[in-house]
Amino acid sequence: MSTETTSGTGPADTQEMTFREAIRLALREEMERDEDVFIMGEDVGKFGGVYEVTGDLVEQFGEARVRDTPISEAGFMGAGVGAAATGSRPIVEIMFSDFIGVCSEQIINQMAKNRYMFGGKTEMPITVRTTEGGGSGAASQHSGTLHTWFAHFPGVMAVAPGTPESAKGLLKSAIRSDDPVIFFENKEIYGQTGEVPLDENYTLPIGEANVEREGEDVTVVATQRMVGESLELAEELDGQVSVEVIDPRSLYPLDTDTLVESVKKTGRLVIADESPLSYGTHAEIGMRVMENAFFSLDAPIQRVGVADVHIPFSPVLEDEVLPHASDVEAAINRIV
Amino acid sequence: MVVIDIETEDGQREALRRMLTIRAFDTKAGDLFADGELPGFVHLYVGEEAVGVGACSALEADDYITSTHRGHGHCIAKGLDPKKMMSELYGKADGYCNGKGGSMHIADVDAGMLGANGIVGAGPPLATGAALTAQLKGEDKVALAFFGDGAVAQGQVHEAINIAATWDLPAVFVVENNQYGEGTPVEKQHNVQNLSETAEAYNIPGFTVDGMDITAVYEAVKEARNRAADGQGPTLIEAETYRYHGHFEGDQQPYRTEEDIDIWKDRDAIESFKQRLVDAGTITEDEFDEMKAEIDEQIETAVEEAKSAPYPDPSEAYEDMFNATVPEISQFSSQMRADGGEDR
Amino acid sequence: MTTTVGLVVNPAAGRDIRRLTGGASVSNNYAKRRTAGCVLAGLTLVEDVDVLVMPDSSGLADRIVDDAPSDLDVGFVDMPVSASGRDSRNAAAHFEQHADAVVVLGGDGTTRDVAQTIGDVPVVSISTGTNNVVPTPIDGTVAGAAAGLVATGAIPADEATIRHGTIEVDVEKATGATSIRGLATVGVLDRAFVGTRAILDPEDIVGGVVSRASPAEIGLSGLAGGLVTHRPDEPGGVGFRLAREGATGTRVHGITVPGTLSEVRVADYQVLDDEEPYTFEVPRGVVSVDGEREHEVQDGLVTLRPVSDGPRLVQIESVLERAAHEGYFRA
Ligand SMILES: Cc1ncc(C[n+]2csc(CCOP(=O)(O)OP(=O)(O)O)c2C)c(N)n1
Ligand SMILES: [Mg+2]
Repeated sequence: MSTETTSGTGPADTQEMTFREAIRLALREEMERDEDVFIMGEDVGKFGGVYEVTGDLVEQFGEARVRDTPISEAGFMGAGVGAAATGSRPIVEIMFSDFIGVCSEQIINQMAKNRYMFGGKTEMPITVRTTEGGGSGAASQHSGTLHTWFAHFPGVMAVAPGTPESAKGLLKSAIRSDDPVIFFENKEIYGQTGEVPLDENYTLPIGEANVEREGEDVTVVATQRMVGESLELAEELDGQVSVEVIDPRSLYPLDTDTLVESVKKTGRLVIADESPLSYGTHAEIGMRVMENAFFSLDAPIQRVGVADVHIPFSPVLEDEVLPHASDVEAAINRIV
Repeated sequence: MVVIDIETEDGQREALRRMLTIRAFDTKAGDLFADGELPGFVHLYVGEEAVGVGACSALEADDYITSTHRGHGHCIAKGLDPKKMMSELYGKADGYCNGKGGSMHIADVDAGMLGANGIVGAGPPLATGAALTAQLKGEDKVALAFFGDGAVAQGQVHEAINIAATWDLPAVFVVENNQYGEGTPVEKQHNVQNLSETAEAYNIPGFTVDGMDITAVYEAVKEARNRAADGQGPTLIEAETYRYHGHFEGDQQPYRTEEDIDIWKDRDAIESFKQRLVDAGTITEDEFDEMKAEIDEQIETAVEEAKSAPYPDPSEAYEDMFNATVPEISQFSSQMRADGGEDR
Repeated sequence: MTTTVGLVVNPAAGRDIRRLTGGASVSNNYAKRRTAGCVLAGLTLVEDVDVLVMPDSSGLADRIVDDAPSDLDVGFVDMPVSASGRDSRNAAAHFEQHADAVVVLGGDGTTRDVAQTIGDVPVVSISTGTNNVVPTPIDGTVAGAAAGLVATGAIPADEATIRHGTIEVDVEKATGATSIRGLATVGVLDRAFVGTRAILDPEDIVGGVVSRASPAEIGLSGLAGGLVTHRPDEPGGVGFRLAREGATGTRVHGITVPGTLSEVRVADYQVLDDEEPYTFEVPRGVVSVDGEREHEVQDGLVTLRPVSDGPRLVQIESVLERAAHEGYFRA
C-alpha cells in the first residue's frame, strides 16, 4: 500500500490491486452504500463468477443480493430492466459480451428506450457488466469485442476502462448513474495491477478521457488492453518518438475535447481498439478529431484493430488477428 | 458414419468401444489441458458417454445432430475421427475446422454433425431448422439436438421445441441432465423436477430415462426417431447423467463433494455396460482389456500426430469470412500485418 | 395418544417411456403435490394425527410439508436421500417401526418398494399415473380420510385390509444366482436388455406369473385375467406361457399397455398354489417385475413362485362405507 497521506485510510490512500479486484471493490462499496444495489447473473454467487470477479461477495451480501440466475439472459436482462424501472439498482452480469445477442431485445427496445418513450417519466438505473476480448484461445463465440454496438445505439452509455483505477472509479459512477450503463471488461487485463484509490467516494465521471502519458509527436488513443500495451510501447520509444497515450475510458459519451486538444498538440493520431475496423469505434474517434482538428492533422489517421474477422481459435491465428503493441508501433512508424 | 446396431452383439461391442473412446479422448484432453498443452477451455464429457453413444446409435447415418460446448462425446458418438478432433483441439491446420474452431466448435456437416456450440441453448433451433429441411425435401432424416439441463432455461430452446412440435418436424430433443449448469444445481435453475415435464406444454411426449444406461437411451431415442420419421413430430427425452470432471478443466467445484460424485461413479455407464456384456458372454475381460489398450494407443497416436501437425498459416485468419471477396478484409489485413504496413 | 401416518410420494413415478409408447400421460410434480395436499386434508377427518413424509431431492416433499394444513403436525423422516427406489424402502422400514398406516403416491413399482419393508403396517396406495395395477386411482382426500380412520383404529385394520400376494423370483445363471420379488406380476421377455424398463412390445412376452388376475387390469395380470380370475388376496397365483412362433395355442385378447389391445396365443396356463414353482428356461431375455424390465438373463433358469406375504392394503371404499355406517360422517 503506497500512502500519499501519512496515516489511516485518508482520501488519498491507494493500494495496488488487480483490475478484477478493483471492480470487486467498487461492487462491494456500492452494495454497502446502497441497499438497492444487487447483482444478478450466471454463477456470480457461490461460484464467484467465471472470471472470479464477484468472488466472495455472496458471503458478505447473501444470495438475495448476489443472485445466481438460470441460463436465461433474455429473462434476467429483462428482469434487470423491470427492477431498475421500479426502484432497484441492479447490476446484471453477462458472462461474455458475445452472449449479449441473446438478450439484445431487452437492451435495445426496453432498457434504452423506456425513458425516452415515456417522456422522461422513468429512470433506468441499471449497470450491465460484461467481458470482451480475445487472447485466451476462447474462439469466436467467447472472444468478441462488441462495445461499438452499444456505443452506437442511442439510450445506453458504453464504458470500457483500461486501468484498475478507472475501472473502480467508473464502475461506481455507472452504478450510481440513473441511466443504463454497459460496462465492458476486457478479460485479458483482469490480472493487470495498478494503484487504486481506497476512498469510498472516489468516482470518475462517465465521459471523461484520461491522458495516461503525455507526449509531443503522436497521440495514441487506446482502449482496454491496448492502453497498457501502448504505455509500454511509449516507454520503449522514449527518446525516439514522444508518444501521448489517452484512454477515452468512456466510449459513449466520448470526451472529444481531450482528444482534440491532444491532436492539436501532436498533429498525429493512432486509434487502437480491439473491435473490428469497419464502421467502428475507430471511425467515430477519427471523425470527431477530423471535425474539430482537421487543420492540425499532419498525417492520415491510423487505425489499429481487428480486420473484420472473428477471433479464431488456433493460437497462431488468434495472435495474427488481435492488435498488439507491434501494430501500434507500425502505425506510428507509418506517420511519424 | 458407421451405424451401430445395439441389438446385435457386434453393435454392442462397437458401442462399448465408442464409449471407451470418448472417455479416453476426454481424459487425455483433460490431462493435456492441465499440462498447458491446449489453448482455450475444454469441457469434458467423462461420465456422460452413454447418452451420446446411446442416442447416436439409434440414428441413421444421414441424420443430423446438434451439440453443445461439451461436444467431444457427441462427435465421437456420431463417428467423427478422434485424430482430426485432437488436431482441432491443438489448433492445427488439419483439424476439423482447420484450427479456427477449437474444442467448442468442432463440426462435420457432411457427417451430420452440425457443430458443437459455445452458446448455451443455440443448438435446438438449428436442429429444428435441419428437421424443417428434411420435412420440406421429404427426406427420411431426423435431427437430434443434445442440450444441457441449463439450456432448458433458455428462451430459444423453448421456441425451437414449440416450432418443431407445431409443425410436426422430425426432431428429437435430448436434454442431458448432468445435474449442474456450471456450478448451479439443476433444482436452483428449474421449478420442475424432471425436465421432460415441460413436454406437456408443447403437446408432445416427454419422458425421462436413465442416462447411465446406454440401452435405455438407445431404446428411448429409437422410439422417438421412429415417431419423428413417421411424421408424428418431436419427442423430448431427458437423460439423467453426471459429469465426473469440473464444468471446465480447472473448475474448483465448490458446489459439490467427492461423495456426490462417487454416488454416480458407482453407476458408471461404461463399467455397468461392460459387466452386462461380460455376463452375457458378448465380450471377455481379456478382450475388453485389449479393446481399451487399442483405444489408448489410438488416442496417443492422435495426440502425437496433432502435436507434430503444422499450424495454419497466419494468413488463414483472413480467409473464410465470406464466400465473396470483401475488399475491406484484404485492405485492413494487409494494413494490420506489420510487414504489410511497412510497404505502404 | 397420537397416531402417526407415513407418506411416501415418489417424485420419479409416472414419467417413463410409456409417455411415448403407451398412451400414458405425464404425472407431474405439481399434480403429485396437490394430491398429497388432499391426502393431508383428508387426514384431518380424524384427530391427533402426526404425519411423517419421506424426504426427496426434488423439493417435492419440502413443498408438501410447507403447504400442509396448519392443524396437522407434519415433519420429515430422518433419513439420507439417494434419489432411487432405496428411499421408498428406507422410509417404509422406518414406518414399519413408527407408523400406524402409510399412504403411498406412486405406481406399482413404488408400492412394491414400500411392500418390501413395510411389514404389517396398513398401506393406502394411490396411483399418480396410469398403467397401474395395485394402486387405486382415487381422490387424495378420500384416501387420506381412509388412512386416518385405519391408523387411529376407528376402523380396525383387520377388517379393512387385504393381504396382497407377491411373486418370488429366483434366477440361476452360470455366473450366479439372484433373487428378486414382484408384487402383482413377473414376466419373462424376449429382449436383450433392461433398456427403458417399460414393456414396449407385447410380442416380447414369453410368459410369467401373476399374484392377481383380472381382465379389468392392464398388463400381464390383465392377460392372465382373460383366462381366469384370481383375487389379489387369494393364495397362489396364475402362471402362463405364450406360444412362440409356429406353435399353437389359445388366442386371447389382452390389454398389454395403455392404448394397445393385442392378440396373443397362450400355450399353457396354470392356477398355482401358494409357493408352487413355475419355471422358464431363458437363453436370452429379461425378467420384468410389475411392468418394468428389471433383470437381464443369459442362459438361465427362472423360477417363479406365488407367495402370500405381501403388504396389507387398505380397502378404501369399505373403510369409508363402514365409517359412514358407524355414523362417523354425521357432524
Ligand atoms: C448464452 C450463453 N450463456 C452462458 C454461457 C456460459 N456457459 C457455458 S456452459 C454453461 C452451463 C451450461 O449448463 P448445461 O446446459 O447444463 O450444460 P453442461 O455444461 O452441464 O453440459 C454456461 C452458463 C454460454 N456459453 N452461453
Ligand atoms: Mg448441465
